[in-house]
This record gives sequence, structure tokens and C-alpha cells, in this order.
Amino acid sequence: MDWRQLWEVASTPDNIPIVALLPLVIFFTWLAWKQASANDELVAQLEGDPKLAQTHHRKTFPLKPGWSKEVHVWPFLLRVEFLAAIIVTIILMVWSITLNAPLEEPANPNLTMNPAKAPWYFLGLQEMLVYFDPWIAGVVMPTFIIIGLMVIPYIDTNPLGSGYYTWKQRKFAISTFFFGFVVLWVSMIIIGTFIRGPGWMWFWPGQTWDHNRLVYAVNRDLPDIFSITSNWAKILFGAIVVGGYYALGGLVVHSIFKRSNPKDYRRMSFVQYSTMMFLFLTMMGLPIKILLRLALNIKYVWVTPWFNI
Amino acid sequence: MATQIPDDDPITSKSYALPYLIASVVLIGTLLWALWDENYAQRPWKAYQDEFVHRYSAFLKTAVSQSGKDQDRLKNSAEYKQLEADYNAAVATGDAQVKQIKKEAAEVDAHLAAVQAVFTDAKARMGADTYSVETGTFDQDNGRVDEKEHVKQVSDLNQDKQKPNYEVDYPGEKGKKYSYVQLEEKYNELRLEKADYVTRLAAAMKPQNEAKAKMDQYVTDRLTSLAPAQIQGIQQKYESWYPQIRQVNVLDTTGPIPGSLIVDRCESCHMGTREPLTLTAAAMTPSGQKPDQYSRAFVSHPSPELLQIHDPERFGCSPCHNGNGRATTSMEKAHGEYEHWLWPLYHTDRKRGNSGNIEAGCQTCHASDMFLATNSGVGATINEGKYMFQLRGCMGCHRYEGYDREPEELTAATQTIRQLEADIKDNTHQIEILRKKADDPNISNQEAEHYNQLAEALLITNSKNAGQIETLDLRSRSLLRDVKKIGPNLKEIRAKLNKNWIPVWIHKPTDFRPSTRMPNFRLNDDQVRSIAAYLWQTAIPDQVQHAPAGNAEHGRDLFMARGCMACHSVGEGSQMVGGPYANLTRVGEKVSYDYLVRWIKNPRQRLRPYCPYEKKDIGPEDYAKKGLAYVFDADHSKCPNDGHELQWQQTTIMPILRLSDQDAADIATFLMTEKTKDPASYADASFMDDPKLKETGKTWIRQFGCAGCHEISGFEDEGRIGTELTVEGSKPIERLDFALLTIPAQRGVEPFKDPGLKQLDASITDSNIILSRLPEGPAAGDWYTLKGFFEHKLAMPNIYDKGKIKGDMEKLRMPDPHLNPEQIRALVTFLLGSQETSLPDQYQYKPQDYRHDIQEGWWVVQKYGCMNCHQFTPGQKTVLMDLPQYKDSPEKLPPKLLTEGARVDPDWLLKFLNDPSLTGGKADNNRNGVRPYLDVRMPTFNLSPEELRKLVRFFQAMSRQPMPYIPQKPDVLTAKEVEMGRSLFSSQAAPCLKCHATGDAAHDKTATAPNFLLAKERLKPGWAERWIIDPQSISPGTAMPSGLFRDEKLPPVPPNTEPRDHWVFNGPLPPSFAGYTDDQTKLLVRYIFQLTPEEQRAVSSRMPKAAPAAGAKSSAVKRQAAGSSGAR
Repeated sequence: MDWRQLWEVASTPDNIPIVALLPLVIFFTWLAWKQASANDELVAQLEGDPKLAQTHHRKTFPLKPGWSKEVHVWPFLLRVEFLAAIIVTIILMVWSITLNAPLEEPANPNLTMNPAKAPWYFLGLQEMLVYFDPWIAGVVMPTFIIIGLMVIPYIDTNPLGSGYYTWKQRKFAISTFFFGFVVLWVSMIIIGTFIRGPGWMWFWPGQTWDHNRLVYAVNRDLPDIFSITSNWAKILFGAIVVGGYYALGGLVVHSIFKRSNPKDYRRMSFVQYSTMMFLFLTMMGLPIKILLRLALNIKYVWVTPWFNI
Repeated sequence: MATQIPDDDPITSKSYALPYLIASVVLIGTLLWALWDENYAQRPWKAYQDEFVHRYSAFLKTAVSQSGKDQDRLKNSAEYKQLEADYNAAVATGDAQVKQIKKEAAEVDAHLAAVQAVFTDAKARMGADTYSVETGTFDQDNGRVDEKEHVKQVSDLNQDKQKPNYEVDYPGEKGKKYSYVQLEEKYNELRLEKADYVTRLAAAMKPQNEAKAKMDQYVTDRLTSLAPAQIQGIQQKYESWYPQIRQVNVLDTTGPIPGSLIVDRCESCHMGTREPLTLTAAAMTPSGQKPDQYSRAFVSHPSPELLQIHDPERFGCSPCHNGNGRATTSMEKAHGEYEHWLWPLYHTDRKRGNSGNIEAGCQTCHASDMFLATNSGVGATINEGKYMFQLRGCMGCHRYEGYDREPEELTAATQTIRQLEADIKDNTHQIEILRKKADDPNISNQEAEHYNQLAEALLITNSKNAGQIETLDLRSRSLLRDVKKIGPNLKEIRAKLNKNWIPVWIHKPTDFRPSTRMPNFRLNDDQVRSIAAYLWQTAIPDQVQHAPAGNAEHGRDLFMARGCMACHSVGEGSQMVGGPYANLTRVGEKVSYDYLVRWIKNPRQRLRPYCPYEKKDIGPEDYAKKGLAYVFDADHSKCPNDGHELQWQQTTIMPILRLSDQDAADIATFLMTEKTKDPASYADASFMDDPKLKETGKTWIRQFGCAGCHEISGFEDEGRIGTELTVEGSKPIERLDFALLTIPAQRGVEPFKDPGLKQLDASITDSNIILSRLPEGPAAGDWYTLKGFFEHKLAMPNIYDKGKIKGDMEKLRMPDPHLNPEQIRALVTFLLGSQETSLPDQYQYKPQDYRHDIQEGWWVVQKYGCMNCHQFTPGQKTVLMDLPQYKDSPEKLPPKLLTEGARVDPDWLLKFLNDPSLTGGKADNNRNGVRPYLDVRMPTFNLSPEELRKLVRFFQAMSRQPMPYIPQKPDVLTAKEVEMGRSLFSSQAAPCLKCHATGDAAHDKTATAPNFLLAKERLKPGWAERWIIDPQSISPGTAMPSGLFRDEKLPPVPPNTEPRDHWVFNGPLPPSFAGYTDDQTKLLVRYIFQLTPEEQRAVSSRMPKAAPAAGAKSSAVKRQAAGSSGAR
């Protein structure tokens, strides 16, 4: 166990936000979860007690006589926000005093750094480049991510759970987001920071980042495994496999979704439903591809002269 | 769920006072922290400046009192009192006049002030009025619009100037009226008057000012440090010191983008660097404390003379010292000692008290210099590094700009010749075609003429090409002479070596001879056997002539006397004495006697000449085919087969000592006794005749690059196998292959502490030996730096194979050069400085004037080891100087060449260097040409015309002599002058011919100085005169006495105020000198320069045969016997 290597990686000024990210993500997930479960309990209680529901007002407490039904933004909201602002200011100031910008020597085009890493917030994208060609990983997937985030208000037909934390009322939305953000995005950033070393090789935490390390790995395209040599055949084969994934995967997700979220399903139009389905399957395609690459050494599934998936 | 519902509304009733209080306090604390950080933590130089001002003020306080004491002491001296009295007298004399002038001047000043106050105001108003008149009726588009109005305004203005509008209040006379014109006149008049008073006052005060200046000068001349007033000035400057960045900012005026070239803020902390007082660490330490980082930071620059040449205002600091000159936030940043600064500071090694690698900075700009001569000794390390690179044959494998240029130039010349020959052929063909076209009857005259013109132009081109080919041929002839190899020619081993000794040597040269320059190649037995076999089987089979045995005793004496030890050494370890080249201790075990005799007689003689064109050694049969005699030397250097230049001499730097056959045999006989065991006792090595080994041997010879240092059959055109090192110092660290040591190096693990080094080099008996080679001891921390890489590489070149699994062909090839820590430090310094600098070209020291000749010359001087015998710069040590046989008889040492260029005629020097015996190639050349009385022999180097030229120019440039030199004809002596000159020449008080050689064998046995007959051709008259006046100042320690002449000053000729020199013989003069007013030194020089052999013989015959004892000489001559060395 190379503790020194681990410390070097963790203490690099560039990586401080990511080291902070680890506990923060866990903490806020826990906090949200705690509040959600409290709310869910309250919802259950109110559903069983219509009288209480009539007087219930803010938060988790039922309204008491003498309490005002509404409170002013100032001072009751702003004083908390201002306190938060002060604390954030303190954190930023301390941070900027203690850690300098990680500047390096003038760039030398003849000698690029190894590993050359993107800023931490783009490490997820950089990690995707391992699994797809630059056209897919760098352009298509990010575009889908942005479009996906933009269309959420238009495909989300669930009226519940707005303005408070809940789990029971929005199981599908929350688990989808949780998977996409924490499991995929955050973990890819963490892989990019702590796991990827010289030559973008996979180094387990505590393994020395040795520039001289050699590994033997052969990645093959899926059509090659099936001994398909012709370009057109490869294109066709890839299209069938990917199309098959969307078709079969769509059927499976459809049957689950229809059973578990019948209300949502009923509320959604065909366009809304198919958009959601496409984005969901595309998102699920990423971990599947990661698995194919890391576990089965499959480079690309769909090989064309224009793009590779 | 919590059922407990609070009474009060938790949102409106909750108080945030405490969180706010805590957050606010923390915020204010952070704010203060930020302010402190901004002002102090990020500006650590402020603390340095405060500390400096504190300590320097304390130092100045003691300095000023010391200086005050010194000054008081001086002021109490009689001389000062006298000067003071003179001053007082001058004051007393001129006082009345001065007072009068001052009084009058004060009156004028008061008037002038009164007028000036009014006039300044009036002039400003008049200027504004004039402007409005000029432009009032003027339209920018249409010109003057109202001419009439304009004329009127002008006349109004002029009238106004005449009106008495201005009142001046003089002291004592108020309200005097002036017009503008009058005012202007008055003002100018008063100014002239004032100027007049100033001149008169200066004239009146001149005597006292001069007397005052003399007083001050007396004190400043005698004070060792600064005067108290000057120190007080410095004190004042630092009393009101406010911390501020001090920087040198050199603007780039040459580059395409204007900006700062150098911004060095080093002096923000190192404030004492350029202070006028010399500051030491001890002086900058508060009393009772130990020197700390501050006291070390505040010292003066240790070499102020270097700063004078390299003015910091132009050079800054970082171009020499490296480091990040702009950085101010911490010492690590400013010194560039962090991962991302590529040019970390060069350090002196304080712990060991040596200069560390600090002189690497010299190399960045002085790469063209082979030798940096300074008076202070700075440059010794870099010089040693550059010399080691050549001496140890590093350049055999590694290309480095400037070193060993000849082979490349030779190849280039050959290629150009081939290209030009092809061009000529093409052109000839082209000419034929053009002529034919011109002859065509169907074309017009104009066209025909055009073709003829083209053909003619091509003819001219061909003629030019032919001329260029001739020049290149001459050049390659010269280059073939200049090409030298570090190691001996291995084509001749059959004739030269004891066969059985060869594998023993190749296996590990240091086992046989620890001080050898040949590195250890870590060869296994198979490699040794096959390499030996290849060399043996491809060697020339010719045998050398049998030589009769000589006298070992006499040989030993000659070996000691002729100067062999200037280059060669004997003895090993602490017993070793002699020069830097081959050690001859066990030479008797390895060589054949006959070959050795031949070698000592003429080391440049080859068994067979080599033809680079045919790539073949030319034998007698080739000459016989053409009916030519089998002779090859400087005059017979063409190949019999193809007429191209041959390599007709050995590529050794060893010169020809011009010994007789008998002497050569004697020395060889002596050397054959230098052995520790019987040559016949070496194990039989008949495997070397096994033809099966030959091919394998060839592979290994190629693999290990043996041909970098040796001539080997079949490897004549082999290139260098190593990496080029010209800019090795700017190689990114990632490009240096630390291999498996990368991470250990970063973490400061010392690989030499590992006992497992034996696996890398079986011959290592003790890893401590390797460890002790590191100049700064075992790594104390991160050595993942260029310095760390070079040091470990040079201490053990294959250390980077540690832990690697490699085949024999893949292993690192660099052999172990078995260097000591000092040599490694010098080489590392040299390599670290081998950088591509970011500074513009004009910072590179590439002068075009005489200094260029000096640069070029040092390369030749170092190449042939001239400095082993001769002194070129004051204080330089020669090898011979340190030998025991010269300790007590320094007059037997070769001459010093400190002012050689000023001394000798360059044409003569060229002749002499070409043939030091000055016999013009006659057979009887077993002697020195100039100093036959010296046992040490100036040998014949067979220098090429190119190198001769470089050397002559070098000597001329070293003494700042103009080139070309046009000798001046001395005035012909009159009969009387001849008589007078002779009387000086033969004076009993200074009998010149007592010491100087005359060519008479009996006399010359005791002679210790050159023959005068050489002087005319050899010396420059001006130098000869300076020499006879004071030889000790030209060559300290010479046997030639000073004080032969004395200076009788003659009264000055106006307008000069200094008395004239008049040199007169310091001894009894014959009456004929009465009334002779010219310098007698000049007379003597003229006499010597016109001396004829007959005259010399006549004078010499009249000298008393039994040389008068030193007593006669001492009558006139104060011979400076102590420490006399270097006979002239």
C-alpha cells in the first residue's frame, strides 16, 4: 500500500474539491434522505388523519394557535441565507489564502504532461472518452445530458413532491437522478482523479503511479469477435445490436415502469414517454458500455467510418 | 415522528444571535488573516528588508566609528597638517577678494530676483497676447480672413511692448517703471553680469578649492574602506527605508515583441549584494549569535570583479545563477526550487566549501570558450569540466558543439567536393548543348548570342567551382592533420603489444592501471575474448625494424629531463607524479621494445597510411604498383591509387621530441624496466587467432563504440554512439531515463546504498567506493533532477539498469569512467550549464574581435596540453612546476608565455611553432631552437596551417597586439653609437653574454638565456626595451636581473607638467656617453637588433674567459634571486 502516492494525489490543490466532494455528497444525500423520510412519514400521517391535514401547515409541525400562517421573507428567510453567505465567504477566503492556484511551467508542445487531466468538473467527460470515440463522448453524449436536463420539466408529469423532500412520491425521478448523478457522474470524476494514472492506466488507490508500468490488454471490437470483416456488415451488425438494445431494453423498462408507476404512465403523452425512454436507455447505455470494456475488453459495439459506439 | 410540538413558532421565535456572533467573529478573523497574508506572508522579503536595515545599521555604526578613527589618524599626520596649512594659506590669501566678489554678486542676485519676478509674468502674458493676435483673424480652412484687422492688431501689440507698464521693486528703490522691451533687456543684462561674477568667483577660489581637494584626496586614498561622510550617507538612506521591491528590469529592445527580458527581484532580499562596503556573513550576524539564513543572504557578491564585467543592470542575476527572478512569495519560489520551475538555482556546496555547480551559469553564455581565464580563480570548476570532457574522451561517444569538430568538417568537405565535381560535369555537358544550339543556322543572332552568354557564364561557374575544390582540398589536408583520437591506434597492436596482455587489459583496464583514462566496460569473458580476437585478427601484420638495446640509466635521465613527465605520469595512487595522459608505470609488461623505440623516436609514424577515399590501409604493394617509393609524410600525403589525401600520421597528440636514435632506444630501454611482473607470465591467449570469434567481436566493438576513441580496422567511419550533450542541461527531466529509479529518486532513496550493486557490475567489490564518488555524498532528499541524474550516471553509468531484466545488447553501454567526486562535480557543472538559453544572441559570448582569436586559441592549447609545460595566465600551475626535479631549479622550466604575443614577431612565431628546432628541417635537430640550454624539449607538433594560424593569432590577441604585425626598422646605428652600444652590451657591470647563448658550444654549456642573434627576427623592439628595464614585472621570477637601468628624470617640456623619462645605464659609463640625451635602453635595443654574428663573436672573445664571479655583477645589479624561475 503506497500511502505516499495516495497522499500526493489527495493533497494536490487541483484535487481538493474532489476530496471535499466525497463527504459532501454523502452528507447531503443523507440530509435529503432524512428529510424525505420525515416528510414521507408526515404524509402518511396526514393521509390517515384528515382533520389534522386541514390545520397542518408548514413543515413537519401542525399549525398551533397563535402561530402566523405565513412569515415574511425578511427577516425569517434572509437571516438564514445571509448567515450561509457569511459562512461560504469564510470558506472561500480561507481556501484562497491557504491554497494557491496550481500553476505549472509554461506549456511545452513537445512534452505534454502525463497523465494530462481535465479540470475536475470535466473529468467525467474525459473518462467517457475511454469508452466511446471523441465524437460520441465529446459531443453527442454531453448534448444529450444537457437536453435531458432541459426536458425534465416537460416530461415530468408527476405533480407531487414539489418544494419538499420526498421519496415515496417520486421514486422513479429520484432514483434516476441519483443513478445518473451520483453513480455515474460523481464516480467517473472520482475514477478520473484517483484511479487514472500515467498513460491513463487503471491504478487502484494505493498503487504507485509508475510511468514505466506496462500492462498487456487487447481490446477488440464486437464485430471482430464474431469475425465480421466487411465494413458494411460491421455497420449493419452494430446497428442491429444497438437497435436491439434500445428495443429490448425499452420493452423491459416499459413493463417495469408501467407496473410501478401506473399513474405517471397514464398521465404521459406518447412524445413525452418516448423521449423519456430514449434518454433513460441512453443513460443506461453508459454503464453497460463501461462494463463491456472493463470486464470483457470490448472496444466498440457499432463500428462505422463516421462514429464508433 | 416527533409529536412534541413547541409552544412558540420555531421559525419566528428562534434566535440566530449566537451563530451570527460566531460567524462574524470568524469572518473578521479571516479578514485580518487575509490582510496579514497579503502584507507579510506573501511578501517575505519585507522581513528580510527589515532585518537587513537593522543589521546593516548596526554594522554601519561600527564601520563609521572605525572609519572616523582612521580618518582622525590620517588627519593628524604631518602630511595632512601640511596640506591643511596650504589650504589655510590659500584661504587667507584669496579671502578678501572672494568676500568682495561675493558681496557684489549678492547685490546683482537681488536685482535679478526682482526683475525676474516681474519679467516671468510679463513674458507669459505677452506670449498669450501674441498667440491671440497670430490666430485671432486666422481661419484654419481659409487662411487670414481680415488682413487689415490683423495689421492693426500687430501694431497695437508692438506699441504695447513699448509702454512702461511694468514696475520693479528693487531693494532700496521701489516702483521703477519699465516697458516690456526694456524689461527684457534689463533681465538679460543682469544675467550676464551674474555669469561674470560666477566666473570671477571660481577663479578667485581656485587655489583654495584645489588645496581642499588635495586634502580630501589624501584621506580617501589612504582609507581602506569608505570615508565617514560616505558611510553616513548610506546610514541616512537606510534610516528612512520603507520596504519596497528592488528589481533589475532589463528591457528587450531587439526581439519582435517589446517587453522585459530579465526581471530579477533577487536584491529585494539579497540587499547587501552591491553595497559599497564588503559584507560578510559574520559582519551581518548580530554579536553573540551564530550566522543564520539572514546573515548568509545579506553578504556582498563574492566576486565584485565579475559584476564589473557582467553589470547587473544589464545582466540581472538569473542569467548566471538561475532561479525564478520574478518570484517574491517564498525562498523556494524565488530560488526556483520547485517542480515547475525548470531552471533551479545553482548552488555552492557550503558544507564542503567548494563552488558546487555554481559555475554552470558561465557555460550558458560562454559555450564557445574552452578556457575562462579570471584573476580571482572563478571558473576553475567549469574549466576543469570542459577539460575533463576532452581529456577523458567523453567526446568520443558524445557530440558536443565545439569539441572534436574535425571529423565532421572532414566529411562535410568531402561531400562538398563530390557535389562540386558533379556540378562541373553537369555544367560541361550543359555548355556543349548550349554551344550546339548557338551554332544552329536557323536561329537569330540575338538568340545565338544569348546561348553563348549562358555558356560563358557556366564556364565561369566551373572555374569558380574548381577554385573552391582546391580550397577544400587544402582544408581537408589540414583537417586530416588535426584529427586526433583519445586512444591509441589499434591497427598496430600486432607490432606493438604483448598479445597475452590484451584480454587482461580489455577485461578491466583499471585493474592493470588504476589511473588510466580508459573506462571500464563491464565486459564478460566472451565479450573480452571476441573483442580481443577481432582486434588481433584485423591488425596490420607488418613488423617494425629491430632496434638495438639502449642504456636504461641514461634513458631514465632523459625521461626525467626532456619533459616526458609533463604529459605522462609514473607511479600509482599517492605515488603518482606527472601529467594527465598515459601512465607508464607498467608499460614494460605490454609493449614490444622495437615498437616503443620507433614510437619514442616519432610517435606520428604509422605502419601504413590510411586512405579515407578507398577506406583502406595502403601498403608497399600499392606504392610498388605505381612505381613509387614507400614514403608517406607531410610532403608525400597523396594516395598512390587515387591521388586523394592520405592520413599519413598517427592520430595521437603526442609530438615528436626530435631525439636521436640512441636517445630513443635509451628511453625505451628504461621504460621496458617499468613493470611489476614478467610479460611472459601472462596467460596464453591463443584463442585470439580463432576466426570464429571475429564476427562476434565486431558486433561488440560496434555496440560499445570502441571506435570513438581508437582507430580500428573496419570502423574508420563509425559515428558517435552516445547522445549529443550540447544542450543536455535543458533537457526536460522526463526525457532522462531514470527507469525503475524514477520514484525512488523522487522520494530521495539513494541507490548506491544498496549492497546489490554487484549484480549490475560484477567487479564492484565495495558499494562504498561508488557511494564515495558522489560529489555531495549520498542523496539527502529528492534527486529527481538533472543534477541528481548526472551525478549518479557519472558515478555508475549503468545504475539506471537497476532492477531491469535486459539482454547483453540492451544494457546501458556507457562505461564506468572511474571519476573522483571533484571530477564528477566539474563535469556535472559543465553539463548543467549546457543549455539553450532564452536570452537573445547578444548575451552569448561570441566576440568578433581579437577576443575571438583568444577563444579559438584556447581550444588548440588545451587540445595539445600546452599548459602542462607553459604558463599562459598568471598563477596558472603547470605540471612540470610541481615535479620534484624542478622545485630547486626553476630556471630549468620552460618559458612562461604570459606576454608572448607582445614579445615575439608573429611571423617568427609561426616559423618556430612549425619547427621548434629552427633548423629548417635539417637532420641535426636534436635540440631546442631558442633555448638550447634547457633540457626540457619543445617538441614538434606537426600542426596544420590552420592550427598554427590559430595559435599565433591567439598569442597576439592575448597581448592585444594588432594583426597583421608590421615590424619597424630600427634606425641604423652610427659608428659612434655602435661603439656606445657595444660598451653597454659588454659592460663589466652587466655582461650580457655571460648568460645569453652565443652559438659557441663551450660557452653555451653554461648559458641560461637565448642567443641575441635571434632577437632581430624574433622580438618586438618595444617589448625588448620594456624587458631590459624591468624583466621582473613581465615575467616574475625570471633570472634576468631588473635594475640594469635607472630613470633620470628630465625637466618637463611645456605645456606638459610631468617630467620626462630618461633611461640611463645603472653602472659606470665610458666618456663617450657624455652629452648623449637619448634613452640608453633604446640604444642597447637598437644595438642588439643590429647585432651581427661577427660583432657578437668579437665581443664574446673579448670577454674574460674565466667568467667573473657574481660579485662583479652585483656591483650594478640587484639580482632578485629569491623565487626566480622561468629563465628567459
